Amino acid sequence: MGFIDLDRVSRWYGTHRALRDVSLHLQPGRIGLLGPNGAGKSTLLKILLGLLPPSSGAGRVLGHALAQAEQTSTRNPFLQSVLRSWIPAGNSDGSLLRRAIGYMSEADALIPGLCGSEYVALAGELYGMPRKEAQRRAHEVLTYLGLEDARYRRLEEYSTGMKQRLKLAQALVHDPPVLLLDEPTSGLDPAGRDAMLGLLLTLGREHGKSFLLSTHLLGDVERVCDRVVILHHGQVLLQGSVQELRTRRQDRYRLQVQGERTAFLEELRLEGAQVIDDNGRGELSVVVPQGWVTRAFFALADNHGVLLRGLQRDDEGLEELFHRVLAENGKHGR
Amino acid sequence: MAVSLLHYRPWRGQFRATEWGIWPIARTALWMILRRKLFWVLYAFGLLIFFMFFFGQYMLAWATSQMAEQTVRVGAVRAEPERLVHLLREVLRLDGTAYTYRNFFWYQGYMVMIVLAFTGSILVGNDFQFGSLPFYLAKPLGRWHYLLGKCLAVAVFVNLMTTLPALILFVQYGLIDPDSPTTFSYFIGSRWLLVGILGYGLLLTVCLSLMLVAAATWLRRTVPMIMTWTTLFVFFRLLAFTLVDGFHYDPRVRLIDLWNDTYLVGNFCLGNEVIHAVEPAVYQAALVLGALSLLCLIYLNQRIRAVEVVR
Repeated sequence: MGFIDLDRVSRWYGTHRALRDVSLHLQPGRIGLLGPNGAGKSTLLKILLGLLPPSSGAGRVLGHALAQAEQTSTRNPFLQSVLRSWIPAGNSDGSLLRRAIGYMSEADALIPGLCGSEYVALAGELYGMPRKEAQRRAHEVLTYLGLEDARYRRLEEYSTGMKQRLKLAQALVHDPPVLLLDEPTSGLDPAGRDAMLGLLLTLGREHGKSFLLSTHLLGDVERVCDRVVILHHGQVLLQGSVQELRTRRQDRYRLQVQGERTAFLEELRLEGAQVIDDNGRGELSVVVPQGWVTRAFFALADNHGVLLRGLQRDDEGLEELFHRVLAENGKHGR
Repeated sequence: MAVSLLHYRPWRGQFRATEWGIWPIARTALWMILRRKLFWVLYAFGLLIFFMFFFGQYMLAWATSQMAEQTVRVGAVRAEPERLVHLLREVLRLDGTAYTYRNFFWYQGYMVMIVLAFTGSILVGNDFQFGSLPFYLAKPLGRWHYLLGKCLAVAVFVNLMTTLPALILFVQYGLIDPDSPTTFSYFIGSRWLLVGILGYGLLLTVCLSLMLVAAATWLRRTVPMIMTWTTLFVFFRLLAFTLVDGFHYDPRVRLIDLWNDTYLVGNFCLGNEVIHAVEPAVYQAALVLGALSLLCLIYLNQRIRAVEVVR
């Protein structure tokens, strides 16, 4: 069973098309969802949560069909929309889908007046857990997330880091196989961010949780996710494993050289290589022509009396990849 | 973080139907109110009215049994039993008839209005003001579950202050009724009163729940909520009184007095005749309340939107 299978899913808001024929076939795992503002990330999350039907296309999340594409009759669209919105969700696919998903929102979405354990237990009950089990589970999850001492404190007294962990706790309380995480490190200091990412990584690696991490922070995705989907203008620009996408640039090397390097650099250029970065302290980024063999670096260094202290493939960073893909898309778009 | 020390444990229980989510929503809303001292102060005031009726009925039964005496002592006051019975039965109407329950609902209604004005923002408004709505709607619930949960919380308040005490008065009078030959005569003879009490309670529950949830969704904060509530139930009442009784406008103008509308329909449920001559017809009052409830539902349909979950 695939984690997410979307087939040409589009979504219009009036005349604005937020998603354009999005097709995704993702297996369970740790997936990063990247895209600039207005890329369609929020719309995609709403559709995956079963809160919004796609305007066209179809899909399944964990085997549950997404809400049906909107088909408004021209005879009485108002009545139809009112009826649709008030027909009980019951155990429809949308509601079953949300039961299989733990959603951590970017907004605080807290209930002032409740204490931590009440809040998480309430979430469990709303997911359909019996009350006693929800309460017991709330304490377990809060303890696991390091909020044991704060569970009887009112939510208004929680720090930003605690609120983020609390939101994760309410998403985890019913032990869903999948988490949808919307900016989970938003507002956290470096230590808090590090802890949250470590936690997500543990949940993914050791406890088999799949998640879709929607964020602007490429570093978060790079650290935690094994796959990435880049959205732009409602379209999927790129998808694949982070490792695979980053190693596409096999033509680039990072060198550490010691000694007088002017002649060495000149020789590199004559051989067709291009120095794209030189920090002046002997660290270089070099793009080499096709058919280049790494042995050539050592030969050139030897010829010019330079000591080559380090040589490694300079894989493209996710941030670099992200900007390059957006830039390429911009060029093609124009 | 204690991740390295503690282990995540899976949960393998059975989920219940989504409808079970309605009660936790209502219970949480109620719990938030019951924690406030102000609620208990207002509720205590509400109980005073109930106790007045409760002990009034008891006194009537007692005074009826003392008719043979010339005078009876009520605290420090000496009174003739005949006069006391007349006062309780004919003037205060504490005689277990439909008028007793109509008066009770009417007076208790004031306290209900005050309590609801104070609690509306806590029950519903906070969900919008502090962004708690996504917390509910990201769960396997529809917006009607959320709305039913909130209305259920309001309904508990309304019935705790009106229907439940009215039922207690009904049972009490049945047990102490001085005119009944047997214990159950009153219950059997006045069974339609029981239906009327439940009908009046249902009317208040539905109308007030929808109006309060809609108003709190719109206004969110306590002060605007109290001002609007006061306008609806006090200012419009005074305005209707001035226009109809002072300037002799058409009685239908009184339909803007919503509390009077509930009174007319509730009175109809209890089987009473309207004493006031210048009143709109019951069906007109029912239409106004029905239309208002429908408007509230349409507004809530627009306002409670699941798509706000992801911003």
